[in-house]
Amino acid sequence: MEEVKEEGEEMDVNDCGGGGLEVVRVLVVDDSPVDRKIVEMLLKRSEGIFDVVSVDSGKKAMEVLGLNEIEAKPPNHDDQKIDIVLTDYCMPEMTGLDLLKAVKANSSSRSIPVVMMSSENDSERISSCRAIGAEDFILKPLRVKDVQRLRTYTVPIGPMSKRGSKRKLPIALIAESNGAEARPLLAKVAAFGSAVFLTLNFWRSSVMSSSCN
Amino acid sequence: MSLMALRERLNVLVNSMFLEGLLDQQFRQLQMLQDASSPGFVAEVITLFCEDSERMLTELTKLLDQAVVDYQKVDAYVHQLKGSSSSVGAQNVKLACIQFKQFCEENNKEGCLSALNMVKHQYYSLRSKFDTMLQLEQRIQAYDSEQQN
Repeated sequence: MEEVKEEGEEMDVNDCGGGGLEVVRVLVVDDSPVDRKIVEMLLKRSEGIFDVVSVDSGKKAMEVLGLNEIEAKPPNHDDQKIDIVLTDYCMPEMTGLDLLKAVKANSSSRSIPVVMMSSENDSERISSCRAIGAEDFILKPLRVKDVQRLRTYTVPIGPMSKRGSKRKLPIALIAESNGAEARPLLAKVAAFGSAVFLTLNFWRSSVMSSSCN
Repeated sequence: MSLMALRERLNVLVNSMFLEGLLDQQFRQLQMLQDASSPGFVAEVITLFCEDSERMLTELTKLLDQAVVDYQKVDAYVHQLKGSSSSVGAQNVKLACIQFKQFCEENNKEGCLSALNMVKHQYYSLRSKFDTMLQLEQRIQAYDSEQQN
């Protein structure tokens, strides 16, 4: 387990999370012992930012999240609280997709960000995960930069934002990720921006023309 | 053998494994994750990989020995083995698994048997070199421990 740094304590230049930030508790779900070991080390090498709980199945993940009861209840102890779930997609019995659906279907866990991992760059798989509420979809094998950005899914962006609520990645980080799903997302952002611009201009034109008449 | 000679021998071994295609750059990524606080990380990953791979190869052998082959189960194990070999940088094993998956999708038993033999061949070639690597690592670490004491 990584030590929690005190508020205001200086961070090493290699730190990615900035000084004084809370440790993020990550639930790693992967049936492969090799992949679990590697992901644990990647998280550990992120300079004390992550505290890791790892399990080898979706079923055990449900237990950790307190979702295995008929009436799901939030964990009782603070040390059980999970800030983000990082799950493999392909697992026997309960897949990562099943786990994602279960997390998002339950009011006590819905706000926990879920990030998918997979060795397959399957655009349909990626789209379906995002549609259900996955924050991101990372291709295996994972790199340091992949785990470093996990924190962005749990850090609030402002006073109105809740911890763990869904938020967009900065464009640079989106572009850094896999190209296949990045381009459609960038296109959507660009389209949204254009739509806002056009709407504002239309409104402005309408106001000006009515004031002239 | 001196510490320097051991390190040189290990470097030569690892470089030859890259040249032969046994390993790819993912293995370098694992080496970069190892540091003074986790000096046995690469050895642990290699050990886990070997245990897991041999378990899967045993299961695959049993499945393909059946009169009626459950290709879904075969594919699931091959997928797992492909994944873990990719994660450790075991390039030739990964490539052999990709070929194996192709035969699974075709429900081609002869192809699967041939592919399984190839995967085993690649795996055991790698395993032999991994064993030598781990022995050298242990000797180097023993030297380092002596020097620290």
